[in-house]
This record gives sequence, structure tokens and C-alpha cells, in this order.
Amino acid sequence: MMILGLIFKEIRYRKTNFLFGLLAVMAAVALFISFFTAGKASERETARLMLSMGFNVHIISENTNTSEFLLTGLADQTMPEQYLEKLASQQAISYNHLLASLQKKISWRGFDVILTGLAAEICPPGSKKSPISYQIEPGNLYVGYRVAQTLGLKDSDTVEIEGKTLMVARCLSESGGADDIRIQCHLRDAQDILKLPGRISEIRAVDCLCFAPAGDPASVLRKEIGSLLPQTQVFHTRSIASARAETRQMVKNLFTVIMPLVVVACGVWIGVLAVINVRDRQQEIGIMRALGYDSGRIISLFLGKAVVIGLLGAAIGFLAGTALAMRFGPDIFKITAKTMIKPEPFLLVISLIFAPLFAAVSSFIAAMIAATYDPAVTLREA
Amino acid sequence: MVVLENVEKTYQTRGGIVKALRDINLHIEKGRFIAICGPSGSGKTTLLMAIAAMLRPTKGTVRIEQNDLYKMGIRDRARFRAENIGFIFQMFHLIPYLNVIENVILAGGVIGKSRNAANARDLLKQLGLESRVFHKPAQLSAGEKQRVAIARALFNRPKIMLADEPTGNLDDENAASVIGHLSEFHRSGGTVILATHQLQARKFASQVIYLRDGTIEKPKLC
Repeated sequence: MMILGLIFKEIRYRKTNFLFGLLAVMAAVALFISFFTAGKASERETARLMLSMGFNVHIISENTNTSEFLLTGLADQTMPEQYLEKLASQQAISYNHLLASLQKKISWRGFDVILTGLAAEICPPGSKKSPISYQIEPGNLYVGYRVAQTLGLKDSDTVEIEGKTLMVARCLSESGGADDIRIQCHLRDAQDILKLPGRISEIRAVDCLCFAPAGDPASVLRKEIGSLLPQTQVFHTRSIASARAETRQMVKNLFTVIMPLVVVACGVWIGVLAVINVRDRQQEIGIMRALGYDSGRIISLFLGKAVVIGLLGAAIGFLAGTALAMRFGPDIFKITAKTMIKPEPFLLVISLIFAPLFAAVSSFIAAMIAATYDPAVTLREA
Repeated sequence: MVVLENVEKTYQTRGGIVKALRDINLHIEKGRFIAICGPSGSGKTTLLMAIAAMLRPTKGTVRIEQNDLYKMGIRDRARFRAENIGFIFQMFHLIPYLNVIENVILAGGVIGKSRNAANARDLLKQLGLESRVFHKPAQLSAGEKQRVAIARALFNRPKIMLADEPTGNLDDENAASVIGHLSEFHRSGGTVILATHQLQARKFASQVIYLRDGTIEKPKLC
């Protein structure tokens, strides 16, 4: 009789042992699948939420009054627009989402506003990221909430600022901050209005140096940028950077701590079940040895069963894990779940390879015990 | 021919060393029916296991037709056992999740496909089990279980049949039936070595060996 036939018949006979083993593999695989499937959404969601906290690196002219800048957030000196291109063209630079702006407080229609000109957002070469700031077309104006309310502006209105005609493309909702008194347009338009062609007051960036292995991220940034743009000052908003880094790291830690614990627990569980199975089958092993079955065949009976458990556990675990992630993921990750949480066929392939291997390794000691049973002893003791 | 020369078997137990067999010398001619008698713990099962190539003696040699069993490798010894020796136990030792015919065919798993299900059915018919072919061991009576065990032992057409108290769990009628089947195997030219308490079984034996404290006490021709 084929070994596989014996395995399936024994599984049918000892259903409870099989089901408990299957449950262990299934739990490990389902957790891995749901963690991994939802983990991608979690990482993306964390990144998105953290980005919404804003830029955390500010590069301004070295002549800027630092106290004034820190107090108002506005740089009183400008620098050449080419600085942006210089920075953007660097391959090995450690930041994302570069944005050049020209900002100045002006009086418009008897109302103090911050005029902000925004260039198109740039990412480092080779990196494709969605912009996190407004991408304003030339000729368009985004008006802050209080400005729009006070001046009675609405979408599609045409306005004039210092002789420049612009169309109100959007009246922004209330932010409760400086954005409410900001009017935002394309950098070219702002340069025209302020008569500062080719000049910018600030380059903002989102960095990715939060876990730089060597030293303080701010000093790494200053060193990198200082060598490239010597006539600038670099400010690193640490609280935002830290929050972003810590949140991302926390999600990673959760996965890297919990997953091995689950895998070890399930492995021990499968191993114990396999040992119980071997003890239950002492007589059977004894008679098979008496009939001439060698150790290899005895081992293959137990490891074969483990592989069957692993394969079935992988398939069911994949379905269960994916179903869990798709059922509960959207409640947790409201922004990214729709696009990020979906069945991942490569995870099924990985599960089908590693779960049987994992089950076989967990059952290895039990299989060895079975192989070393002395038929003379087991048959005499029965 | 089965030859045991100066065979000793000792076990290390918590209470000390136990000598299960002491200087056993035995020559069993081919085609004999040997009954091994003796009280519990006298070494009957140990002797059978040693002859069955399942228990290496501490000392001495066991040969079957010039093959020194314990000089063979483990695989060769297992194959030799499968091809030449049938074994019947007091506790039947049927595999609970296999039906009757599967339990019988199991014995052929090691030596290849020369024996098949038709052979197993023939054997089961001879043993009066044709209506029980697809029953599981739990659905059989003790006598039927032992007959399945005999069919399994006979499946590979062994030269030697070793039986360790095969009637110990059976009523008189079934015990007689089992001994009858062993006797039939003997009449067809096979060698039977039977460890038993049953006086009835000894009637069929061509030789009775008395074991006491691991020693052959009184060889006696019947």
C-alpha cells in the first residue's frame, strides 16, 4: 500500500489530531497573511497620515533672519530658484517631496494676506510619489477660508493682485491656522506679483532620514545639503519627523515581534500533537517494523502527514487571512484599504511552500522518535 | 534451518541486569512445528523476537538458512524478515484504520507487487473471512481478528511462522481454529515456532522446548 494512502486513511481515522494540527498551521498562516496584506495598507496609511502633518525640512537663504523665520514661518530673504533644480538632480540625497515656494506678507484689498507661490512638487530621481501639496496651474488662485469669507470671493471669480489677473480656482475650507489668510498661486505668478523673477524664499522637503544609523538626522541633512547649497540654512522639524518615524517603526515592530511568537507557538503545538500521534501509534509502528518497513518509510508516514497538514493549512489559512484583512482592513485603514488590501497570489505561493516545510520541521522530532521505536519492545509491551 | 548458537540476551532495568536468555543453543530443522513452553517471564517472547530478526542478542548468533541475521544491515534484515518470516501476536496488532484486506496487503508493501489483492482475497476466503473483507478491525470478533493476522502473516508466503501466544485471547473454538491454520501451514512445508501455554497446541508440535529463566530446560521430541 502506498504511503500516501496510509497517511490519508490515518487522517480520516484520527480526525481530532489532524484538525488540531490543521488549526495550528491555519492560524499561523492566516495571521501571517492578514498581517502582511493589511501591513502594506498600514505602512501606506501611516505614510499618508504622516505626510499630512506637513513638510519637516525647511531650506532657506543663509541671510534670512532666523528668529523672524521661526516666529512667523516666513523667510525675509530669497535665494535663486536654481537651488531647487540643483537639489532635485542629486541621486544620493536623503529626502522626498521637494517643494519650492516664494512667500511674502502683502496687503491686498485692505487685508493682510500671505501670498504663496508654489512650484510643481519634485521627487528625487527614480522616485514616483503622489504630491502632498497643492499643484496649482499658472493663472489660478487658491484662496484661504478667511480671505474668501472677508472679501466675498467664490470659485471662478477673477481677481487682480498688483496688476496680475488670476482666477479663483478654489476657496479652501477652514484650517484654523495661517492657511486661512493665505492666497496661493503658481510660483511664476507670485514671482511676477512680487517682482522677484527666478527667486524663491524657501525649499521644503519631507525627509527619510529619521532612522539614519549614524547620529542626528538633522546634522546628516545639514551636511548633505550644506555641501550642495552652501549659502543656505537647514531646519529640521524634529517632532514631526520623530512621530512619523516612530509610528512606522511601531507597525514594523508589531509584526516582527508577534509573528515569530505565533510561529514558535504553532510549531510547538504541531510538534506536541505529532508526538502524541506517535505515542498513539506505537503498536502500529511496531507491527510495520515487524512487517519489514524500514525507518525511512516510518519517518515518511509522519513527515508526509505533516506536509498534508501544511498544504491544507496554507490554503485555508490564506483564504482566512485574506478574508480577515479584507473584512476588517477597511475599518482600520480608511484611506488606503480600497487600493492596498486585496488578495495577494504570491502570498499563497509562499504559504504553500513554507507551511508544509514548517509543519514538517515541527514534526521532525516526533518522526525521529517513531523511527527509533524498537518493534520488539513496542510489540511486547502492547 | 533455524540455528541459535550461544544466544544470550540481557536487559538493563532499574532493578539491575535481567538475563532473558542464557546460552541458548537450538537447531530447528526446516518443516518442523516447534512449541516453546514455559511460565511468564521465562524468555519465550524474547526468543521469538531474536529468531524474527527483531531483537539483537547480547551474545551469540542467530542463523536462518545460513544467513546470520544480525550481521545483516538494518534494511537487509527488514527485507529478509518481510520475505521469510510471518509473525502472529497474542494482541493481533491490526492497524485500526485499515480494513481487513488492507491489513493483509500491508505486509506486501515492502517486497513489491508480486502479491496483490487477489492473493489476499484467496487467503481470506481460505480463512473463512470472505464476508469480512471490507470490515475494520473494530467490527470483528477476536477470532476473526486473529485469522486476519494469520492471513497477513501468510501473505508473503513465508518459510517460517512465528506465533507468540496466538490463542491467548481466544475461546477454545477459535483457539482450535488458529492452531488448525498453523498446522495447515506446517503440513504445507512451513516451519512453525509457537510460544504457548495451550496444551492442545502442543499436540500438533513435533518438538516441545521448555524454557525457564531464559534457559532451555528440557528438549523433548514429541
